Amino acid sequence: MPRNVPGIIVILVGLLLLVDFVVINPTLVDVSNAVLRLVVLLAAAAGITGASFLVMRHGRAVLDGSPHRLESSVLIVGLVAMLATGLYPGSQGAADPAVRWMVTALLAPLVASLFAMLFVFLLVAVRRGMLLRSRQMRVMLLAAAVVIVLLLPLGGQLGGWLAAVAAWSEAVPIGAVFRGLLIGVGILVAVQATRILLSVNPADD
Amino acid sequence: MIETRSRIRLRRWRPRGLAWSIVLLAALAVGVLVGGSVSNQLRLENPDRSRVSELRAVLGRLPDRPLVLVGMDGDLGTYPEIRPALRAVLADLLAHDARIAMVSFTPEGRALAAAEVARLADDGVAADRLLDYGYVAGAEAGLVLAVTDLPSPPRPDNPVGRAVLADGDGIAAFDIAVVVGGIDFGPRGWVEQVATRLPSLPLIAVAPTFAQPELAPYLRTGQLDALLATVRDDAAYAQDVALREGTSDRTGQSPAAMLVGMLVALGVIGRAYVYGGPPEADAAIDEEDAA
Repeated sequence: MPRNVPGIIVILVGLLLLVDFVVINPTLVDVSNAVLRLVVLLAAAAGITGASFLVMRHGRAVLDGSPHRLESSVLIVGLVAMLATGLYPGSQGAADPAVRWMVTALLAPLVASLFAMLFVFLLVAVRRGMLLRSRQMRVMLLAAAVVIVLLLPLGGQLGGWLAAVAAWSEAVPIGAVFRGLLIGVGILVAVQATRILLSVNPADD
Repeated sequence: MIETRSRIRLRRWRPRGLAWSIVLLAALAVGVLVGGSVSNQLRLENPDRSRVSELRAVLGRLPDRPLVLVGMDGDLGTYPEIRPALRAVLADLLAHDARIAMVSFTPEGRALAAAEVARLADDGVAADRLLDYGYVAGAEAGLVLAVTDLPSPPRPDNPVGRAVLADGDGIAAFDIAVVVGGIDFGPRGWVEQVATRLPSLPLIAVAPTFAQPELAPYLRTGQLDALLATVRDDAAYAQDVALREGTSDRTGQSPAAMLVGMLVALGVIGRAYVYGGPPEADAAIDEEDAA
């Protein structure tokens, strides 16, 4: 049985959404949509709270003369610049040309560059990892090398053969593992949801 | 003892980052430069065209002037990988006389959607064929709400918005959904929250390669109707669209540069596998042992 108010709310909301999913009823749809709008509001509140704490934390770092005050300053300046361009009177929000410029000419290339550097960092990690001479690292690197060879962008008969083997390995061994994972995750989610709905705590096991 | 030696190796070894970076950039530059001359030997497009055929079959079943909803939730880090495929899908849909609406459930996706809508407008796509629903907050909760209730369009007089309102104000009004995935949000959320509520709505997914193993099972079960989730499938589809339209392939991805990068990676892995690390690390350990 539920032991507290949050538990009761979770059970009621969970059952409502579950029944709405199964039964077609306009009233149920309206009620569940109202609940979902509350969830959206909660998420928005959590987002604003998180952003506020971020600004407070980095603002304090700047004011206190922290060794990382330069990075904190850059973060605050970036946040203020994005907010200012998206919220000035008459702004079109995310569709405003200034915001679009900041995203496409500044933010997107910066983030893409960081992702591109993963290539170098991964290679460095490979060399450092092999210094530990662990069996797991050897297996992982062997698998990585096989995948790279299968995906080599070669033409001709060799390229076709590599692509065929790559497709087979994706559809059969890798696909089997991921299907198993998805099924396992689905079962676990269902079990966990049932435990929450029934207010079963770990102590009850 | 072995563990101690490993720790010593780890501590002593320092990558020569600048030299590495220069060599890598030089190799990639050579790859890009020679890409044109070896294009016959190299091929980025997947020779297996099954993913392209599946996508074309889905588009071929669409009615005249279809209403298309693009769920744009890529992220800034992986979007450059899937951008050519998405642009090819949009070009293909526009060639089918489609009316396109975009909606985003993540802030990054919203920024990317705004940029794509502006690009389409700059390319001369008529305003009455484009609609931007903007950002819908709440992630999956927002997605569930959008099934029956999309936000009001910014321009009420937009023909796409009017058509959606006429057919029912939600995702159900659309003929097809194209889902652009990223790290945070993507086709899996749509399969779980939308496909279960609207099983007749065709879903096409465009996602980065890392999502391919997770999404491929949905394709086999029919919960996704088509999927582009590898660079090679993306390139094959973009080439297919370019051939049909009689335009040049605008993927901008060089197979030679990719080959060089892959060979560098193979070289590093092979060397690390054989030697377990750079020679200077072993020399340092030997010195330490001697001391």
